[in-house]
Amino acid sequence: MTEYSGYMGKMLMIDLDDGSEKEYPWTDRDRELYIGGKAAASKIMYDNFTGKEDPFSGDNLIIVSTGPVTGTFAPSSNRFDISSLSPLTGLTTSSNCGGDFGFYLKKAGLDALIIRGKSEKPIWIEINEGGVKFHPADELWGLKTGETQTALKKKLAELNGPKGRYGMLCIGPAGENLVRYAAVISGERAGGRGGIGAVFGSKNVKALVSTGSREIKIFNKEKAMEHHKKWTAALKAHPITGSQLPRLGTASLVSSMEMNGQLATRNFSAGRFESFEKVSGEALAEEENITNSGCLSCPIRCTRTVEVDGKKVKGPELETLGLFGANLLNDNLKLVCRWNNELDELGMDSISCAGTIAWAMEANEKGLWDNGLKFGQVDGISQVLEDIAFRRGIGDELAEGSKRLSDKYGGKDFAIQSKGMELSAYEPRRAVGQGLGYAVSNRGGCHLNGGYLVVLEGLGLNIDRQTPKAKAQLCMFMQDFMESISLCGHCLFTSYAVFPGFLISKPNSPISRFVNFIIPHCGWAVGMLDRFPAMACMNMPLIPYTYELKYAVGMKMNIGKFLRIGERSYNVERAVNARFGVSAESDKLPKRLTDVLQDPKDPSSKVPLERMKRIYYRTRGWGADGLPGQSKLKRLGIR
Amino acid sequence: MRVKVKLFGLLRIDSGIKEVELEASTVRELYPLLLAEMRRRDPECSLDEKDLRACVVAVNERRAKPGTKLSPGDVVCLLPPVAGG
Repeated sequence: MTEYSGYMGKMLMIDLDDGSEKEYPWTDRDRELYIGGKAAASKIMYDNFTGKEDPFSGDNLIIVSTGPVTGTFAPSSNRFDISSLSPLTGLTTSSNCGGDFGFYLKKAGLDALIIRGKSEKPIWIEINEGGVKFHPADELWGLKTGETQTALKKKLAELNGPKGRYGMLCIGPAGENLVRYAAVISGERAGGRGGIGAVFGSKNVKALVSTGSREIKIFNKEKAMEHHKKWTAALKAHPITGSQLPRLGTASLVSSMEMNGQLATRNFSAGRFESFEKVSGEALAEEENITNSGCLSCPIRCTRTVEVDGKKVKGPELETLGLFGANLLNDNLKLVCRWNNELDELGMDSISCAGTIAWAMEANEKGLWDNGLKFGQVDGISQVLEDIAFRRGIGDELAEGSKRLSDKYGGKDFAIQSKGMELSAYEPRRAVGQGLGYAVSNRGGCHLNGGYLVVLEGLGLNIDRQTPKAKAQLCMFMQDFMESISLCGHCLFTSYAVFPGFLISKPNSPISRFVNFIIPHCGWAVGMLDRFPAMACMNMPLIPYTYELKYAVGMKMNIGKFLRIGERSYNVERAVNARFGVSAESDKLPKRLTDVLQDPKDPSSKVPLERMKRIYYRTRGWGADGLPGQSKLKRLGIR
Repeated sequence: MRVKVKLFGLLRIDSGIKEVELEASTVRELYPLLLAEMRRRDPECSLDEKDLRACVVAVNERRAKPGTKLSPGDVVCLLPPVAGG
C-alpha cells in the first residue's frame, strides 16, 4: 500500500520454477528515493544480484516497471521500463518502451512485475487484478511478433470474451533462439536494447498480457489537468516537439548529422555518406511516409507509418535509417523500411544487429572472417536477418554480437561497441561529449544512457563539438536529468521542450550564439550543480516534471531533489555493475574512435576519452577506479 | 557565382523545393533570392526570410556563416534546426 497517488502500491514477484507469486516489499520511503521505472528496477537488482548470476540462468530477473505518472494521462507519459541482466553485456540493461503495456499493468493493480526462475515449457502469462495465470504457449512458439499478438488477441477473446482490452509484450524467433540482442515487442513498440528478448526466451516466456480496471488515482485532479493542458500546449508550440518530430520524426536528423560529420558511415570509419539524401528523413517523408502516429496520451506523435508489401507498418527511426543506411553503405530506403519491419517481426534490436553486420562486412573485407558480407551489397540482408533470428549458418555467429565475434576472429579496433553493446548511429569523433557518454554509460554503447550530449553538440544546440571542456560535467548532468525523467514514466522527447524554443529555432541569433559559446566555459557551474543539486531547491515552469510529481502523485519535489533521484538511480545501477566486474577499464571505446582521426587534417577529430573520463569520475564523486565507494552510496541513501 | 542550393527538413517540405541554382557571392545574398524563388513557385508560400536566416548553413558540407564567400559550383545546404533521436 502507499500514501501516494499515481502508484498502485504493489509490486509482484513471480517464480517460474514453482509457479508461486508474492508481493515484493517496497515502501513509500523507497518510492521517495527511487520513484519507479528503471531506478526501482536497479534497486531490486542491487538487492538480489551477487555478481555471479548468468543472464540465461533462472536467477536472472526480468523486471517490468512503471512510473507513477504512467497512466495519469500526463502528455507523452505512458512509458514503462524492462530491466534485466543483459546476455549481450553481462551487465544490467534496461529498455524504456512506449505503447500501452505500462498502462494496462497498472490497471491490473501493479507498479511492477518481477519474474525469476525458468518455466519447463513455453508459456504466456496473463496478469490481471486477481494475480497471474500461466498458459501454455506451444502454439505460439515459433511465431513472429505480429502473428503472436494476433493469435493472443484471438485466444483472449475465446477465454474472456470479445470486449477485453489488453497490453501485450512478446518475443519473436530471435528471443526464442537466444539471440543476444533480441528485443521484446509491445504492439509496434520495441524494448530493444541489451537482449531482454533472449532472457524471456531463456525463461520460456513467449508473452505477457495485462488487463484490469483498477483506478489510477491522481492526487489533485484539477491542478494536474490544468498542468497537463499547459504542458501539452508548450509541447505543441515548441519547434521540436510541435513541428519537427510530428512531421518528420527522428529520421529528420540524418541530414543534420551528415552536415556535422556525425552520421556513422562504413562501420564508423567516416561521418559522411555521399548518398545520405536517399536514406534521409526528407526522403522518408516524400517517398515512403504515409502518416504519423503516437503512443497513448502523446501529442508529439513521432512514429512514421510506411507501407511494406501493401501493409501499413511502423517506419524506421533514425537509428535504423543511419545504421542500416550509411553504416552499411546502403542507399536503398525501401530496403531499410522492409528490414525495419522484419527486425520488429523477428524481435531484434536494429542497432546491435546493424552494428554486428557492419563489423562482419569489414572483417570479411580485411580477410579475418570469410562470411560473404560486403559493404554496399545488401540484397541478401533480409535472409541474413532471418538467419540470425533462427541461428542458421553465419547468422548463428552474428547472433552473438560484435564484441564476441571480434574476440574470436580479431578486429577489436573496429568492433564499434562499448561494454559489448553496439553504438547508436551518432559518430562520436564529431561529438566528443557523446563519445564520453557512450564509454561511461552503464548500459554500454547507448546514446541515451550516455547522456545524449550530441543534442548539445550540433543537434539542437550548437556548442563546440570537439572541445572536451565541460563535457564531463554536462554528461553527468544530462544522464541524471534524463534518468529522472524516464523513471517517472515520461518520454524523453518531452525534454526537448525544456530548451527555450528560440535557442533551437533561431540558432544564429546573438543570444543563441552566446549561449552556445558560453556553455563549454561553464563546466565549473554545471559541476557545482552536479555535486550539490540541493542548491536548486526551486521549481521552474520550463521543467514540468516536478510539478507533475506534486500534482499527480502528491510528492514534494523540486529540481534539486529531482536531479538527486536521477543521480541515485545512476549510482545504484553502477553499483550493481561493479559486482559484475565493471570498473574504469570497462569504460572504453574502440581504438578507431579514440586513436584514429576522422579527418587526418584535423587533430581534434577523435574522442579524447581518458581526459574527460578522469573529470567525469571526479565530478560523480567516484574513485579513480570509476566506481562509487561505500561513502558515496551512503550519502545517496543507497542501502 | 552560380551555386546549387539544397533545402532540407521542413524547409523542403513546406516550400516544395529540393534544390535550385542561384547567383550569389555570399551566403547572405542567397536569402532574398531564395525567398523570391519560393514565392515565384508558390505565391502562397508562408515562409519568410527569418525562416531562412534561422537555418544552419553548410557550404560543400562544411558549416558556414552568412558572410561566407561562395565560389562557382559550390553546394549550399540549408537545414532548419532539428533535435531528438
